[in-house]
Amino acid sequence: MTRKEIRRMTGSNAPQISRSQSLLLAEDLRKSYGPRPALRGLSFSLQAGRILGFLGPNGAGKTTAIRILTTMLEPDAGHFVVDGISSEYPDRIRRKIGVLPENLGFPKNTTGIEYLTYFGQLYGRTAAEARTYGQRLIEEVGLQQRARSLIGTYSHGMRQRIGIARALVNDPVVVFLDEPTLGLDPRGQQELLSLVQRIAQERKVGVVLCSHALSEIEAVCNDVIILLSGRVIASGSVSEVVGQTQRNVLRVQVPSPSISKARQVLKALPNVMKVAPTDKVAGWLRVELVDMADGGSSKAYHFNNKLLGALIRAKIPILGLEAEGGRLQDVFLQLTEEAIQ
Amino acid sequence: MSDARIRLRDKQMVSDSRVKPSGSALPTWWLVFIRELADLWIGGKALILTLIYSLVLGIMVYVLASSEELSLIPPKELTYEMLKNAMAVSLFIGLIIGADSLSGERERATFESLLLTPTSRSQIIVGKFLAGISFWPAALVIAVPYLQVLAQGDEILGPTILWGGLLGTVLAVAYTGLGMLASFWSNTNKTSYFVSLGLYILFLVPAQLPGRAQTGAAGQFLQWVNPLAATNHFLSKHLVNYEPLSLYWPWLESPVVFAVLVLGLLFLYAGPSLRLEAGRSSKFWSRLARKVGLAVIVCGMVSWVASTAMAFQGVQSQDGDLQISIDAEYRVVKTGDKVEFNTVVTNNGTEASHPLIVAMNVINLDAKGEVVDPEDWSPQRTQYMDTLAAGQSASQHWIINTILDGNYMVYMVLIPAPVSQETTSQPVASSGIHLTVTPFTRLNPGGVLPYAIGGPIVLLACIIVLYRLRRRQIDAGGSK
Repeated sequence: MTRKEIRRMTGSNAPQISRSQSLLLAEDLRKSYGPRPALRGLSFSLQAGRILGFLGPNGAGKTTAIRILTTMLEPDAGHFVVDGISSEYPDRIRRKIGVLPENLGFPKNTTGIEYLTYFGQLYGRTAAEARTYGQRLIEEVGLQQRARSLIGTYSHGMRQRIGIARALVNDPVVVFLDEPTLGLDPRGQQELLSLVQRIAQERKVGVVLCSHALSEIEAVCNDVIILLSGRVIASGSVSEVVGQTQRNVLRVQVPSPSISKARQVLKALPNVMKVAPTDKVAGWLRVELVDMADGGSSKAYHFNNKLLGALIRAKIPILGLEAEGGRLQDVFLQLTEEAIQ
Repeated sequence: MSDARIRLRDKQMVSDSRVKPSGSALPTWWLVFIRELADLWIGGKALILTLIYSLVLGIMVYVLASSEELSLIPPKELTYEMLKNAMAVSLFIGLIIGADSLSGERERATFESLLLTPTSRSQIIVGKFLAGISFWPAALVIAVPYLQVLAQGDEILGPTILWGGLLGTVLAVAYTGLGMLASFWSNTNKTSYFVSLGLYILFLVPAQLPGRAQTGAAGQFLQWVNPLAATNHFLSKHLVNYEPLSLYWPWLESPVVFAVLVLGLLFLYAGPSLRLEAGRSSKFWSRLARKVGLAVIVCGMVSWVASTAMAFQGVQSQDGDLQISIDAEYRVVKTGDKVEFNTVVTNNGTEASHPLIVAMNVINLDAKGEVVDPEDWSPQRTQYMDTLAAGQSASQHWIINTILDGNYMVYMVLIPAPVSQETTSQPVASSGIHLTVTPFTRLNPGGVLPYAIGGPIVLLACIIVLYRLRRRQIDAGGSK
């Protein structure tokens, strides 16, 4: 969609984009801090009920992108639209979005329910309405037992939850979560990510999730954008991005005494180019295959079965099998390394 | 309760039954004001500052009442001094509260949440500003008992509270706004506090200069242009000297103009352009601001010292080519105390002087008092000097042991040695030191001790009660 089209759509007489369509459209967003470019042409769209992951190393431009999209920063160039409202109207956009900023601070001498009531009132609710809605949000994020405790007594995980509740206090159409699981223990991370998924699916909102944690992006996001030095180096659905770097390399783990035998068995298979042990103690073998892109994923899966069958017939126990390059982490490391080079 | 104990539950998401805003909500500046007020007063910062303020007032009232015991300072002057000091302290606290209002939120990372709401930036500024000036009414109320005890029934109390309240409000508005402007341009409290402190000293120092440094066209202009000094001047003339108001209205111009200027900048410039960060190049500007703040503080101190020196120069005797100056105007001491001071003899002529003698004299100002025997008061009453070259100066150090209580004048006489037996010379006198010697200090001068101690204790009790009420409110289910 061109800038002209976006403007045309967001004019005063333009119909609002329905929630089934893109809730968030960004086109060629650019931002520099002095001579240093922080964002170099970010474009994407986000549909209702989907979670978009922003990935990138430190300084990649993730927080700058979030700050622009949440109207905290003005872009040097580019444009974005939230639920049919142009970025030229930041006050109206703020009514449509909910944000959990990174390292959000909280007033320590306020209770959770007072905090949500206050913000509800700032969005135009009466005190009674804001309190009722705040109470329901607190239940939604699982903090009902601590609703009347001072936020100063909350754990980090509880603060993140109350932060998410605050982000939902205006019933937004797009929610931005900047590093929501940072500093949480594994169980806390898991619970928070489940909450994010529920919010996206049941509220039918678009969620932009900014994170360093590749596994959580992979687990909960539908789409992903990988940023490096302000530039988009990969974007699309998670499976598409993972597929971009499929290398046809398998890693097989067998008992270390069986490593030589397994190597011989695998070398004898068709489509196998090279078999090399990578960790003799742990028994890992790296199996390079010929390019099977023309046959699609079903061909690859079929070959995996053949490989496993050959090892079973040779009575070699299989301790592990994984596709190298088949995880977001591999893609991320590979793409960022390539881009840096 | 740990995170692990809190489980996500299967529950109905609220999206299907959203509560729609009724549209009859309160204005957002009011919401921000109430929230800020609660943070300030229930959160503890303002309460602690109030406690400190009352302690400072307690110390001041005790010191002033101790002076009053000497019957030297009339109640109206004591009351004015108390008001002046109370205003100076409360304005400083107002400045600090203002300086924390925006940069403090940036530092505590609570600002972004507020800016992400559709609340207009100007309304945020209005709400925070109104909360910031809330300290002044409390400060005035706390000061009233102290003013009352010092006034001792004098009719000055009413006008003092009236004019102090009125002009203090103008200054509180200006100072709190000034602190907020410093905070607006700062990313951290360190910077905003430093800048605010620099500005405070800039305004305070001229108001504290010795009386003689405030005279003359330049001195008067500096006093007039300084809102704090001008306000003090106005209050002094009206409350202490009973001068007609019509003569001193122009002295109110600078505080009013200052307040209008600050408010204009705050609401018309800072409000609409309020941002999450004070500026990306904040490190540079922060460093610059701190350096400017430091420079202002240093300049303030230097100017104070220089002005004192000017005042010192101002007391020099101008009789002939020889001058003798003295580095004190008045002292209040107790019997048995040792008083030390210095004199400087200067030859302003074009030729070397004759040998010189400097003699110290002490007289009792009370006609019915005992005659002073200077020999009892000083181990060395006379100092002899050789000739003094043209333009040259020499200093002398003196010590007095206060023997009796009462009011005394200590003055120095510079005597050029006569050239021959048939000639004489013209002695030159210095200005005097008004020496007040008190017999003893009572533990409860003027009956102020209950106020000095009771004020902070009552406030501390109030803070504890408020804290307990808040705890009870939280335990009972939070504020309704």
